[in-house]
Amino acid sequence: MRLHPQDLLAGPCARYLHSVAMFRLQGSKVLAVDMTGDAVKAKNGSMVAYDGQMTFKKMSGGGEGIRGMVTRRITGEQMTVMEVSGHGTCWFADRASEINLVGLQGDKLYVESSNLLATDAGLRTGTSFTGLRGASQGNGLFTTTVEGHGQAAIMSDGPAVVLRVSRQYPLTVDPGAYIAHQGNLSQSFQSGVTFRTFMGEGGGEAFQIRFEGDGLVYVQPSERNTIAGDV
Amino acid sequence: MPFSEINSKMVEATVLPGQRLFSQRGAMLAYRGEVSFTPNLQGGQGGVMSMIGRRVANEDTPLMTVEGSGTVLFGHGGHHVQIINLTGDTLYVEADRLLAFEGTLQQGTMFMGSQGGVMGMVRGQISGQGLFTTTLKGHGSVAVMAHGGVFEVPVTPQRPVHVDPQAYVAHHGDVRNKLSTALGWRDMVGRGSGEAFQLELSGNGVVYVQASEEKL
Repeated sequence: MRLHPQDLLAGPCARYLHSVAMFRLQGSKVLAVDMTGDAVKAKNGSMVAYDGQMTFKKMSGGGEGIRGMVTRRITGEQMTVMEVSGHGTCWFADRASEINLVGLQGDKLYVESSNLLATDAGLRTGTSFTGLRGASQGNGLFTTTVEGHGQAAIMSDGPAVVLRVSRQYPLTVDPGAYIAHQGNLSQSFQSGVTFRTFMGEGGGEAFQIRFEGDGLVYVQPSERNTIAGDV
Repeated sequence: MPFSEINSKMVEATVLPGQRLFSQRGAMLAYRGEVSFTPNLQGGQGGVMSMIGRRVANEDTPLMTVEGSGTVLFGHGGHHVQIINLTGDTLYVEADRLLAFEGTLQQGTMFMGSQGGVMGMVRGQISGQGLFTTTLKGHGSVAVMAHGGVFEVPVTPQRPVHVDPQAYVAHHGDVRNKLSTALGWRDMVGRGSGEAFQLELSGNGVVYVQASEEKL
């Protein structure tokens, strides 16, 4: 009988399966992954060191097949991903960015492809449309989604804060400081553009994203250059 | 041990009479007491011959001698600083990563070709380290700069460690390094994983790796 990972996750061996590719942080800027024959997906060229036996293979189009590849090309959410497999410990880091670990239990993580460092090989990645919000973030109209069971590592410029959003407490964030969110959240785009903004007297906070529902939002202590930040 | 970390990007050095320190020129941030900084024309220890050696090897960085009595703060370019203590073994590091080191350490240059022959030279070129590297030998401590934090990976005979050449900072101990390639047809057609070249370190010692693929 052939077992599927999904079956295992539901069964008693779920805990064991989760511990296969262990993500742990070494300091705040280095991700160490202990592997025993399994694989992880990571940003191309982000390996800094490894011991044991490892092989690196580039996955064209983010490892989502032809369809995913085409979608990524069209949406501009291209990411160059490599598959790392082997036995031993592999360390990942990218331009001294801070790294945050996100555990996924069947829910969906929305993150910019440039902020995604590594995911468990079992997690599915895809693209989704963000609309006007994406444009305000300076990231384009699409974003990357990660879903399934396992761990993902996301990068931020400076240590990120995780903010909880609940029904009673919606959250509004600066588009330039937003990096990712997960959970059952609906987002809307707010603009505080007034006549002052057109006079060049804006407060630099003309656009915001408002999150409502239940979930987590990851915010970095730094702002990307966005249109919103200039007005 | 004259160096102590103030924070991750600054070190404080204690200078005592009769004990010299070398530091990268311009890396002093502040000092207390009677300390003099003299530019070191020779770029380190040894006589004129060592200086010529370093010039030829392109491993000369402008150094200064720090003498007197007091405490000096060092830092440079906002880079992270790591203090490495040496007890008789040799540290291999690029000269431009040296922030400061004790005068008790013996400075020298090593030809990459002497470890691994032609492949050693190729390795030097690929990792951007050049054909030569600086060695520091003896008892004392060194402050080394890196982009992002530094972490240590122990190298044991059973577990060789592979490092991205761009993220490699320094190593010490009885370690042999060679360039290992994982070049396949994918790299030739531009579909490489970006990890085609790796430094393989084997033996007994420690390698220091930075959390970034950027050179200083």
